[in-house]
Amino acid sequence: MLDGSIGTTSRARRGMLREWRLHTLSVFSLAVAFVCLGAALLVLTNLQAIEERWAHAGRASIYLKDNAPAQDVESLKKALANVPGMLGVRYVSPTQARTEFGQLETGSRAELAALPVEAFPASIEIEVSPDVSDSDLDGIVSKLRQLPAVDDVETYQAWTERLARLIKGGVAAAALLSLVVFASVLAVIGSTIRLALQRRRTEVEVLKLVGASDRFIKGPFLIEGSAQGALGALGAVVLLAALFFLVRGRLDAELASLIGIEPSFLPWYVVVGMVCVGIVLGRFAAALGLRKLVTL
Amino acid sequence: MGPREDRDASPSNENDNPSWGSEGRAFRPLLRAGERFARDAASRPILMFEDVYKSYRPGAPVLRGMNLIIERGEFVFITGPSGSGKSTLLRILYAAEKPDEGRILFLGRDITRLRSESIPFLRRNIGVVFQDFKLVGSWSVFENVAITLEVLGLPARLIRSRVGEALERVGLQGRSADPAGVLSGGEQQRVAVARAIVGEPALILADEPTGNLDPQLAIDVLGLFEEIHEAGTTVIFATHDRSLLDVHRRRLVVLDEGRTVDVPNGLATSDDAGAWTRSDNHLPL
Repeated sequence: MLDGSIGTTSRARRGMLREWRLHTLSVFSLAVAFVCLGAALLVLTNLQAIEERWAHAGRASIYLKDNAPAQDVESLKKALANVPGMLGVRYVSPTQARTEFGQLETGSRAELAALPVEAFPASIEIEVSPDVSDSDLDGIVSKLRQLPAVDDVETYQAWTERLARLIKGGVAAAALLSLVVFASVLAVIGSTIRLALQRRRTEVEVLKLVGASDRFIKGPFLIEGSAQGALGALGAVVLLAALFFLVRGRLDAELASLIGIEPSFLPWYVVVGMVCVGIVLGRFAAALGLRKLVTL
Repeated sequence: MGPREDRDASPSNENDNPSWGSEGRAFRPLLRAGERFARDAASRPILMFEDVYKSYRPGAPVLRGMNLIIERGEFVFITGPSGSGKSTLLRILYAAEKPDEGRILFLGRDITRLRSESIPFLRRNIGVVFQDFKLVGSWSVFENVAITLEVLGLPARLIRSRVGEALERVGLQGRSADPAGVLSGGEQQRVAVARAIVGEPALILADEPTGNLDPQLAIDVLGLFEEIHEAGTTVIFATHDRSLLDVHRRRLVVLDEGRTVDVPNGLATSDDAGAWTRSDNHLPL
């Protein structure tokens, strides 16, 4: 390099290239740590999507009493169809219910389809627009429960609430995991920078000798720490994406029908967030590792 | 671009008013950013030691009440046996050590009281050359010299020009792209000298710079320091190599058991510092 520039970035780049084995090992360790965090975030992201999907599913099953007069049922259907935001109203007779149940269930549970028709109550399946708020839907459900022809109304709220509790637990677990990951990132980068500092002791001594300020000396090491953090996080995202798309390609249809949504990868802002966290943690860890600069 | 233009260029970083040394221009000490230059600094001795004490072990002082004045533009040999405090003296001067007592005035400023953040500014005004060269072997010759100016934040064009001049002065023109680690000992020492002089410091400290060189190379390197001195720079040259002291008669300061004997013309004979005579090459070293 003969351009007269031995700037901070240039010195950091050359330092990393010269000790590429050390830095590669460090980035790999960081990537493994970030994969754990990324995987937890990926699971949480998809669980939240499922919760969102079911919370706004806008479906309910109105089970009718066995002795409900056909006239009342017809009036109910008409009334429901006129409710604002109602997308669909479908009457399911006991026979129809047993047939649909038999189509859905396979294996040992298929034997349940052999039950008598009386075991399956008649129902009205309603589909409400996602624009209808949860409170409005609750209002409709409570009014329906008071009607004489209605035996029970089933929504997916309880299931959604269980899922929400699961997600809360998942968020707490991810937060704890984050702390563990952050601690390991700090330890890995701090150790790498201390080792790099030791290996470049002469360089640091020379810099001090010619009157470089601590800021000037520390600059490249801080950049190296940030770069390691960013590369570690980015490596984790790439690894996770490869695994995700590999698994999704094989199980897509089954997964989608099972959970009701198509599994999605981490949103872009989570990816950017992980990289930013890597940069900030890397810089912080490097600063910690440089607390005791070579004395001259 | 000539040296005159170089000195007029403005640096671009934290150092707003660097010292460009000794040739026809007042030295401006930059011990702390933002402080003003004292106009009477040029008329003061460049260095004054006042009752300087330094010991690493109780009861065994390396420097015992040292008093010494070094004027601007002097060439001074510091000599004495191993462990007599030559290196300690130089380390105190570039603030790698602090004396236990006393004052050291560098152009009127007491450098023993410098705060740690001021030390880099002191070092930008002092060039130091070591026995073990202290070069970064993986850097090129150019980079090893340019770092002195890089620290000052000078523009790349100016750095190229100044480094080229410094390498020419030490006879290494055309070697700037070579990695410093592959050079011979004599060449590495020349690179170290170029690094010390490229910033045109007010003071050059040489700590046994010929210790790793054969006698002829040692005389060549001493010649480099003579040339630097002739250009007006103050040089303090620490050595225990008696043969070098006779190459050119210079002021001699002998350190022994914490005491100092100052021989201004380098010719006197004294027994004060442990029975030594220069003419007989009979220093108790």
